[in-house]
Amino acid sequence: MTFRLTCPVCGKRDVYEFTYGGPERGPRPAEADPGSGLEAAVGSDPAVAAEAHFRWAQFRMNRPEPQEEWWHHGAGCGVWFSTWRDPATNREAPPGGAEAGGHEAGGRDSS
Amino acid sequence: MMQRRSNAAELLPRAARLGRLKSALGAGVIRPGRLWEKRPLRRHYDVVIIGGGIHGLATAWYLAKDHGVRDIAVLESEYIGFGGSGRNTAIVRANQRTQENVPLYDEGLKLWPILTDELDFNLMFHNCGNLNLAHSEAAVAAFRLSVNTANFYGVRSELVDPQQCKELVPALDVSDRPAHPIQAGMYHPPGGVVRHDAVVWGLARGASLHGASIHQGVEVQGIDTEGGRVTGVRTSAGPIGCRKLGIMAGGYGPAIAAMLDIELPVNPLTIQAMVTQPLKPFLHHVVSSGAYHVYANQTLKGEIATGAHMDPQVNYTTDVTAGYFKHQAEALTDFMPCLKGVRFLRVWAGLADMTPDMAPILDGNFAHEGLYLDVGWGYFGFKSGPVAGKYMAEFMAREEAPEILEPFALRRFLENRYMGETATTMKYGQWD
Repeated sequence: MTFRLTCPVCGKRDVYEFTYGGPERGPRPAEADPGSGLEAAVGSDPAVAAEAHFRWAQFRMNRPEPQEEWWHHGAGCGVWFSTWRDPATNREAPPGGAEAGGHEAGGRDSS
Repeated sequence: MMQRRSNAAELLPRAARLGRLKSALGAGVIRPGRLWEKRPLRRHYDVVIIGGGIHGLATAWYLAKDHGVRDIAVLESEYIGFGGSGRNTAIVRANQRTQENVPLYDEGLKLWPILTDELDFNLMFHNCGNLNLAHSEAAVAAFRLSVNTANFYGVRSELVDPQQCKELVPALDVSDRPAHPIQAGMYHPPGGVVRHDAVVWGLARGASLHGASIHQGVEVQGIDTEGGRVTGVRTSAGPIGCRKLGIMAGGYGPAIAAMLDIELPVNPLTIQAMVTQPLKPFLHHVVSSGAYHVYANQTLKGEIATGAHMDPQVNYTTDVTAGYFKHQAEALTDFMPCLKGVRFLRVWAGLADMTPDMAPILDGNFAHEGLYLDVGWGYFGFKSGPVAGKYMAEFMAREEAPEILEPFALRRFLENRYMGETATTMKYGQWD
């Protein structure tokens, strides 16, 4: 079944009015804040830096639990916004689990 | 305990064998629901395969038949063939685009008649050929590349003009009227359709006859490792130990891999398909069109079975949406106007595990010893099932990647060695 997403401007609208923008994945490794853990891990080795970038660009955990993601209300007001949706139900859902928060909401162990 | 065929049946000529399932059913040799033997679930197996679809069952069949590995459990959380194996549109072909993929799919295509014989089970391979339509100069150029690649590897594929398309499929409107007029076609005679349920049942029977155990309704909930090795799985029916574990769960593969905290460049997306009311035979080839996002074939029963495009967001549900009825109807009736007024009867959805380069990931011993991965086939999982099983079985038995699978290792995505199955990286599951 189709479902409705909550646009921050227009309210609940049919999902086919929106364009999916992918999951929230944080800044690109190269754009990470100076002195951040990520940059320190990448170091100066180009191969390591490239690998970090490819992981950031394409690799996903894709657990069947709520994730934060970006949507564009292209057939409506045109706003980009982030919201939480659960791929297990394909519905808007609050961040899962008591330990929810940030980009890794839902915890590391779903088993 | 299932019975082997009587000697009298073995004497039947090969042609008669294909049609004898019905008589075997009538004679009580094979009883419905007893194609494979139900065995008690044990606490340890040499090999555990997650996923009772075509890939998992084919791997079990080849492990047992070719490599003497019989201590196998195939774990299926629902019933065999519940996932993509029973939800695809049953199309088979080998006109992929790259040097790594074409030989693999070619062997897979040639396996259908061989499997029919080896499994002694009518897989209903209907070698009707595939006609892919191009509606732009860019699409024609892409066809030229595909046709030349196919021919280089000895796969029959040819570029045809709109008039030839019309001769192959008289129902096509090859005029300038459609929104996307037909510019050319890519005709691939060796392809066709195979009865997907029969493949599941035949492989299950074959694997079972060779000693593999199939366990339905056993859901894997966790994977145990120790000292860098896979040691077993935790399931809804309790823990099961194993020495080797194959993740062959189709669209559910990423969720299984996530149990080991393994991230994959694979996005499971929901894809829908539907059938019309049965019609007189008029569509003698599989017809597909990238521009219209539609592919269709006429089943032996007469229905037009047609597949749609995917929703872009990661989605583990198999819910269907009304919008695709409209899209399929508009697309099909635009280039085959005779379908106007025909009714859709049924719609369903399945999961497609999409990778950025439209090629699968076949890997082993990469994160934990004894862990094997067969995932990311996207919407090519059905046509590739038996050949993937054949080589994954070799991989798991010898613990070394067969040469044909080497290019499909997960590491290619970390080394910027994407395969060129599409001209550019797919954007499924993300926007950038």
